[in-house]
Amino acid sequence: MRSATKNPLLKVVILGDGGVGKSCLMNRFVSNEFDEHSFHTIGVEFLNKDLEIDGQTYTLQIWDTAGQERFKTLRTPFYRGSDICMLTYAIDDKASFKNLEIWRTEFSYYADLKDNNAIPFIVVGNKSDVSSEHREVSMLEMETWCNENHITSCIETSAKNASNVQEAFRMAVQHWIRLESRADKNQTIVNDTVNLSKNQSDVKTSCCGGSGDETN
Amino acid sequence: MWNVIYSMVQRKERPEDFEDKRIAQVDNGFFEKFGSLFREQAEMAQTREQVEKEQVAEAAAQLVPKEDDDEEPETPPASVDSETSSSHSQIDENEFENDFIATAFNIDELYTEILYIILHNVGCDVNLEVPQNSLFSYAQDAFRVPHNKHLQLLDLAEKKEDPELIINVEVIEAKDLRPKDSNGNSDPFVTLYLASNTSHRYNTSVKPTTLNPVWEEHFALPITDKSIDDTLCLEVWDFDPAETVKEKLGKLFDVKGVKGMRKLVKEIAVTAATGQHDNELIGRAKIPLNTIPASGMTMWYTLDKKNKITRQGVLKVRICFSSGKNNQVAAQEHRHIRRIILVHELDVSKPAAYWWCENFGPEANQLLTQHIAQSGLSPTEVALCSYSVYAGIHQSHPLSFCIFSKLLEKLLKPLQTEMILEEDMKLFWEATRKLLPSCFAVIRRIRKKNANEKTVMKQVIEVLKIFNYVMALEPTNIDLFPQNLYPWITFHGDDPNCDIAGTLQDAISKGAGDWLNYLIENNKATAETALARLQNLIQLLQLVRSDLQKAIEFYDKLFIEHVNFQYAKSLYIFYQAKISTLCEPEVRQICKNLKTLDYSGYDFGNGPVNTDPTVDPLAEGTSLFDLYLTIQRFVTSGQDICPSDYNGFHIKNFHQWFHAGVAQWLDIAVYKALQRIEKAIELDQLVHIDTSVKYSSSAVDTLTIFYQVNTFWQQLNWPNVESCYTFIAKIIDDICRCCIFYAEKMASKVDGMGDIENIYEKKFEVTNEWCLAINNIDYVRETLEPFTNGLGMEEILKKILELKSPVDAQRCRDTLNMVISNAIDTVRNAIIELLQTVVQKMAPSMKRLLIEGAELCNQDNNSIDRLMSYVDRNLETMHRELNKENFNRTLEIVWDMLSQTLDEIIQTNLENRRPPSFFANLQKTLKLMLGAYKDPTDCTSCDSLKRTEQILRINGLETSDLIHEVHLELAKKFDELPESPYGEISFRCKFDGDVLQVEVINARDLAAMDSSGASDSFVRIHLLPEHKFSSIDKPKTKTHNKTLFPLYDETFTINLSPEQREIKDGLVLLSVKDKDMLGYNNQYIGEAFLRFKDIPITSESLSNLPQVKKWLGRPTSFEMDTIKALEHRLGDKQAKEFLKKFKQRLAS
Ligand SMILES: Nc1nc2c(ncn2[C@@H]2O[C@H](COP(=O)(O)OP(=O)(O)OP(=O)(O)O)[C@@H](O)[C@H]2O)c(=O)[nH]1
Ligand SMILES: [Mg+2]
Repeated sequence: MRSATKNPLLKVVILGDGGVGKSCLMNRFVSNEFDEHSFHTIGVEFLNKDLEIDGQTYTLQIWDTAGQERFKTLRTPFYRGSDICMLTYAIDDKASFKNLEIWRTEFSYYADLKDNNAIPFIVVGNKSDVSSEHREVSMLEMETWCNENHITSCIETSAKNASNVQEAFRMAVQHWIRLESRADKNQTIVNDTVNLSKNQSDVKTSCCGGSGDETN
Repeated sequence: MWNVIYSMVQRKERPEDFEDKRIAQVDNGFFEKFGSLFREQAEMAQTREQVEKEQVAEAAAQLVPKEDDDEEPETPPASVDSETSSSHSQIDENEFENDFIATAFNIDELYTEILYIILHNVGCDVNLEVPQNSLFSYAQDAFRVPHNKHLQLLDLAEKKEDPELIINVEVIEAKDLRPKDSNGNSDPFVTLYLASNTSHRYNTSVKPTTLNPVWEEHFALPITDKSIDDTLCLEVWDFDPAETVKEKLGKLFDVKGVKGMRKLVKEIAVTAATGQHDNELIGRAKIPLNTIPASGMTMWYTLDKKNKITRQGVLKVRICFSSGKNNQVAAQEHRHIRRIILVHELDVSKPAAYWWCENFGPEANQLLTQHIAQSGLSPTEVALCSYSVYAGIHQSHPLSFCIFSKLLEKLLKPLQTEMILEEDMKLFWEATRKLLPSCFAVIRRIRKKNANEKTVMKQVIEVLKIFNYVMALEPTNIDLFPQNLYPWITFHGDDPNCDIAGTLQDAISKGAGDWLNYLIENNKATAETALARLQNLIQLLQLVRSDLQKAIEFYDKLFIEHVNFQYAKSLYIFYQAKISTLCEPEVRQICKNLKTLDYSGYDFGNGPVNTDPTVDPLAEGTSLFDLYLTIQRFVTSGQDICPSDYNGFHIKNFHQWFHAGVAQWLDIAVYKALQRIEKAIELDQLVHIDTSVKYSSSAVDTLTIFYQVNTFWQQLNWPNVESCYTFIAKIIDDICRCCIFYAEKMASKVDGMGDIENIYEKKFEVTNEWCLAINNIDYVRETLEPFTNGLGMEEILKKILELKSPVDAQRCRDTLNMVISNAIDTVRNAIIELLQTVVQKMAPSMKRLLIEGAELCNQDNNSIDRLMSYVDRNLETMHRELNKENFNRTLEIVWDMLSQTLDEIIQTNLENRRPPSFFANLQKTLKLMLGAYKDPTDCTSCDSLKRTEQILRINGLETSDLIHEVHLELAKKFDELPESPYGEISFRCKFDGDVLQVEVINARDLAAMDSSGASDSFVRIHLLPEHKFSSIDKPKTKTHNKTLFPLYDETFTINLSPEQREIKDGLVLLSVKDKDMLGYNNQYIGEAFLRFKDIPITSESLSNLPQVKKWLGRPTSFEMDTIKALEHRLGDKQAKEFLKKFKQRLAS
């Protein structure tokens, strides 16, 4: 049973092509486990996890969706009401990266997004552990795509060696907090470009320095 | 499980389901429309079926044009097969034409024959006999013979004698006739006469537009002995090239009714008889009678023409002699007579189409009977004649089918067993061929809305009998169903088609298809929107379903009984294919284009925000589901109707068409549920729905709504397990949303209730409504788990296990369990939140009252009473209204709140340097409160309150008591030491009366205080609390230098006053110190405490008592409540001094 304390509940949806490692990311994040032979998800999976940021505990309700096309109509009902959407691809799979656009559109449509300024997206490039000769998507490509789509948060992770997994979710929540406070202030003076560049430098440091030291 | 709860809900429900209806009204009975029939499910299903039927009947009645019985008799080929090609209708006409022309050309001859029959009246029942005169006038009428002609022919008939010899001529056929018309054809007919009597001519019928006509007509020419030298002349003529018979007969179809037809026929007859025509001779054959052998012969004769050497063609004839009337001739004659009489009868009595049932008038009957008798026709022959004649007439004026079925019944046996002439056989099948189209028309138009269903049924029965007989005759190699007459037939092949069952199947499909097309054509969607299209399809399907229903109820039995044909099944097979092709693309497209339901948050006041007014996703989704259910019902009925074929049906997998729509339905369901919950709360009066329960109407209503969602899910009956699993996860999540929504709305409904504000005060009183709100939410929460079980989770997980793997099943199970427990937790938190709100609202009042109590405790008991009665009232309300669990929860929160409040009060008042009495009073107040409301044994989770109480107690102590409290605390602590770095002390101690004796024996392992690693120790004895023993010296031992194991061996005797001796919590403190060289600054090594109450009371010598060993201890920090309390007493000298010393005693 969850504690009776009034943690803010955040609904997180993980989207991306089948096999990019969504379920692995979630399991790594929630139970710090990794299954080399994970099965394709049927429809959806669901897990809870508390996350503390700046002294405030957030309860994340994570919906991990099935990426395979045949599940399309099954997963879309879960989009509505989500606070955060993780767009996931595998860095050794160009096609999965190319499909981000489709995922973003699908989510926006079914989540019934009202406010286009407050896009709750974060882009996650998983499997950063693969050797460089298998890499098909560079960091730069990811950042460029994010820039074009006005997505301010992106990160490379590895569910396998646990690199940046906590960071990814943390970043997602921080992103949400920023959006919330912006919405609260109800103003649009925040300068996106400044924010973006700041974020990117964040990402870079965490990506470069973050390999292997995340196995807690 | 769910059902148990449900029945519980029902019992608890008020007798009138008033609220429910009103709730349903918010969305026009959305769930009800889904067919989720909450109560009286079965009953309502029935009425629904009924209503549906009526609606369908009504709709159908509107759609199908009413048949106007006065109108032109039904001519099935003309009206139904309007699309059929002209070529086939021509053949049809030709056949038609033949009969009448045959009649026409022999009319005088026939008439004479009739007159002859009347004159020679034999073989008739005398009683029934109609006077000769009326027979004459009847015949004259029927044959439309002018009077003078009648007299002339009567004369002839009277003179007529039984012929001695008859020459029977059958004109069979002609070949290679010379064409006479510009189009290269001729309209040939044959004229026969004897050279001795050229005026007495016999004509065959005209065969239009052919050079190879086939007549097969019989003629009987009377001859005398002397005419043996006579010659038989056969002339082939081309008929009236100026106006062909065809053209004339073309007119026939323009003329309405039997009467008009008769007129035309007569005109043709007159034309032929008077020779007012432009006929042209094709050729002629002359056969001297003496060339014919007595046994008869069949010959091809070459046709000549005067002045023409070239051959004009050949004519085949059969000629033989007989003494009486030839049977063939008689039969043909009979057919002609019967036809003329029937036409006349129809003309006179004008029966409705399909009505006439061989009910001839007496004259007609007598004439026919006479002719039969005089011609010696057998019953079979008569039946055959009738059958053939009626079938012919039937084409233009439909007769009752029962005539045919009766005749067929009569004919069946003879046709099967007797030697029937090939020619008669041919006649029979010819007639059957004419009859069958109208029979199939009946089958095809079974849905026609007639005034009288019974008539239709009867007709169907007769028609089925007809089929049955015809099938029994096992037609082979006969082209019963020419493609051109039956364009809808599916038979393919070059062989003649005589497959009645197959044609029946086709007719059924064709009929259903026509009907369906008609419906579609005349029932177009009112608009091009998806909604209109969906509703259109639903309506269509309902009509189809009711048609099937009718098929099952009425027709199926008949078809099986009479022709062993599964009508309903055949119909179903047709419909399922049709519906599939009709619905699938439409449904798929609509699903693909579904707009998401556009609502955000839970603002239902204005319904979903609609950006595009032409599209209503809500109505679309609902209609889509309606269609889904309609198809589902259709498919289910298919399992009963065609159990063996069912698996091959395309429609079986109709779910797939709707796949993309399910998400929308789930969305709609939750949207509607939320909307209804809001309404339920609005209507809730917040009173117990009955005395036995502690919740109000909206809780029950909300459960009902959940039940409806469940019913919706059951009805969906989705077959794919993977989808089912996901949908269930979604539904559970949604229901959780509903619960939370309910909690929120419930909370905001009671918000503000119980707030009292007047000029004297502003406070909050817990009201019944608040309690009900809490109970309601809890009640709704409790249903979450049984609700999820009701969704059939276990079965689905089992199927996943079978279909996929145990790992997958487990993951799915985990997810569902997680979603459920998450949902339950979330709602529980919502409840706690609400409870906290309540308590929070009580807090200010309680706080104020507590402070007042503390300030005025001793002077003004009123204040305490006020506090007590406030708490009393509110807790009492909660105790009465809340269920136990929530009451206990509330208490916990109250205690929590109290301790928080007290903490605050203590903190501020410590800062304000309130005297200990303030805290003591506060504690007293609290104690009163707890004592009244809290069973102390029940205090499992009020640790914080206990602590607060403790702090309160400490702060309420006078400083010297407080100091003693420190020591008591230390004594307790040191007793629990497992070991000590400061060493251990051994001593003996006893009370003897008011005398205390202490023997300090030794110490060991003392902490080294010098740099040399040794100590110079001594022990000082204190009695505590200090202020009570101020009269007494504090004795000490000698100092033992440079040892960590000193042997003190000193005994001290201390005389106490009786009061001092009685101090309950008195303490002996043995303080071991290291003697400073100068003696000013002795250092603490360690201390040991001994409670008065632990000291033995005895007069025995100390040396006989056991040694007491205690670890030496030192206070470790200021982090003690007592020390903190002392620290707050800044102005207190005693406190200050103690703290200063305490600091020295502290472990370094
Ligand atoms: N090298 C590497 N492999 C990974 C990583 N994360 C996941 N995988 C592998 O990728 C495969 C697919 O991972 P899943 O988490 O099941 O993929 P998914 O995105 O959930 O796929 P669907 O459920 O079908 O949508 C598994 O075999 C994992 O072992 C990673 O960070 N590095
Ligand atoms: Mg997965």
